[in-house]
Amino acid sequence: MPELDPGTPRPSRRTMLKGAAGVGAAGLAASALASVALPAAASIKSPVRTTRGPAGEGAGDQAIVVHVRDAASGEIDVFRGTTQIRMHDRDLAARLVRASR
Amino acid sequence: MSSHREAPEISKDPVADSTDLYAFVSPDKPGMVTIIANYIPLQGAAGGPNFYEFGDDVIYDIKIDTFGNSKWDINYQFRFSTELGNPETFLYNTGPITSLTSPNWNRRQVYSVTRIDGAGEHVLGKNLACPPCNIGPLSTPSYATKLAAPAVHTLGDGSKVFAGQRAEGFYVDLGSIFDLGNLRPFQNLNVFGKAEGLSAAAGVNATKLLNVHSIAIQVPIGRVTRKGRPIIGVWTTASRQRVRILDPEAGKVITSGPFEQVSRLGNPLVNEVVIAMGDKDKWNSQRPHNDSQFTHYFAHPELAALLPVLYPGVFPNLAALVASKKPRVDLEAVLLTGVPSGIIPGFSTFTGTVQADLLRLNTSIPPSHSPNVLGVLGGDLAGFPNGRRVFDDVVSVELRAVAGATYPLIDPTFTPDAAAGELTDGLTPASLGMPFLDHFPYLGVPFDGYDDPAS
Repeated sequence: MPELDPGTPRPSRRTMLKGAAGVGAAGLAASALASVALPAAASIKSPVRTTRGPAGEGAGDQAIVVHVRDAASGEIDVFRGTTQIRMHDRDLAARLVRASR
Repeated sequence: MSSHREAPEISKDPVADSTDLYAFVSPDKPGMVTIIANYIPLQGAAGGPNFYEFGDDVIYDIKIDTFGNSKWDINYQFRFSTELGNPETFLYNTGPITSLTSPNWNRRQVYSVTRIDGAGEHVLGKNLACPPCNIGPLSTPSYATKLAAPAVHTLGDGSKVFAGQRAEGFYVDLGSIFDLGNLRPFQNLNVFGKAEGLSAAAGVNATKLLNVHSIAIQVPIGRVTRKGRPIIGVWTTASRQRVRILDPEAGKVITSGPFEQVSRLGNPLVNEVVIAMGDKDKWNSQRPHNDSQFTHYFAHPELAALLPVLYPGVFPNLAALVASKKPRVDLEAVLLTGVPSGIIPGFSTFTGTVQADLLRLNTSIPPSHSPNVLGVLGGDLAGFPNGRRVFDDVVSVELRAVAGATYPLIDPTFTPDAAAGELTDGLTPASLGMPFLDHFPYLGVPFDGYDDPAS
């Protein structure tokens, strides 16, 4: 499909890396979080799904990776295959932060 | 260099580092457009035992805008897969590799080509073999005929494709340029060179004896143009997934998430010498149609201000132009929108008003019978910046343009300094030490590790 207007410019790799390091939160593989229960669907606010790349290709490992972008606001990114879901859950974020210590 | 290691982040990720992009109407097949995107810079030919290869975890794209809105509407996408024959040996090859199916070749790559356009995704080829790297005369005998030539594949739509190692085609005297802009042919005039008593000297090619990995495709012109719109904009990108985790327990690398652009390339030398250090990584992440955020770098290029300082008294007219703070609309046109018709007789690369760093090719201009490596600046309308051919001397062209040689295009009252028409780093295609081919994929046979260097 031809290119869609992506809206605002996206952050650079460096910005993303800086951001990941700067929030003081945890980016954790889900396998390390077996003891942390996922919240009920009702507690997930404003999930945003983004996908780039060819469907079904490049998915590679189907590990689920969770990145707590901002523990205070509960902003969490969940990566799987070639997808990324943005969710907001302060309780889950807080539990992930506790589990990471 | 053209775009080799041109930004801090991508310099640490050579597999995804786009180095050069070429687009031209094929001289031997004037009904076909050839596009070549090079990756993995500065390959020493003897770089084993893990010789160079594309990234299995990288998406390589060649994007084409045929509408003139600086967004792609045709994308040729390349995905690679590495196959290891025998994991019990450290060797790349266990004997002579005499064909692309040789059992002696232990580690090989295959790839798929997918065309994405308004009609959807079309897999044009899969499990296409790359050639091996050129190891040496014992390991890769008859490289050109037995290994490289069979790796040129014909796709279902009549296009040709090649992906693999080639000799570097970009020539540049990096050693002098990054040593305070001390162009050897003019180092007697450089403020630092003069102080050292240096005399003018011939250029030294920093990319001599080095290889690169090329993704080359040759497509009928009608497949990449729109009726009545012969001018296309081309760029290449490399993308990686957003997440990468080293998993020592599983002994593997986990990648996840959407693919994110980490490298892009349209015109040569833009991110290299036009964009400032603080924006280079951002530049690589952006889509071309957002390039108006970088216009100031083109309007007031740092290099134009440096030349009169580095070469006192040599560029008085350029110095005055810089001091006037007039925007370099000539450079904006050449690099960001294309040159509108009516400025150079019989010539246009204008794709629209959206500022975007695209390599623009007017496919209605036939290949030149007597090409000039200076392209349009040398009176050859089939050369850079009308696309870019493998042999074009883009270093000299852009040095001269920045020095003011193209400013009269938008201000006929401006007289370029005499030196602006002479600037060069003193190199020619012969400086590469490996001839180009007169047919697809045009870039020369890669240097082999036994003979290069030979001592």
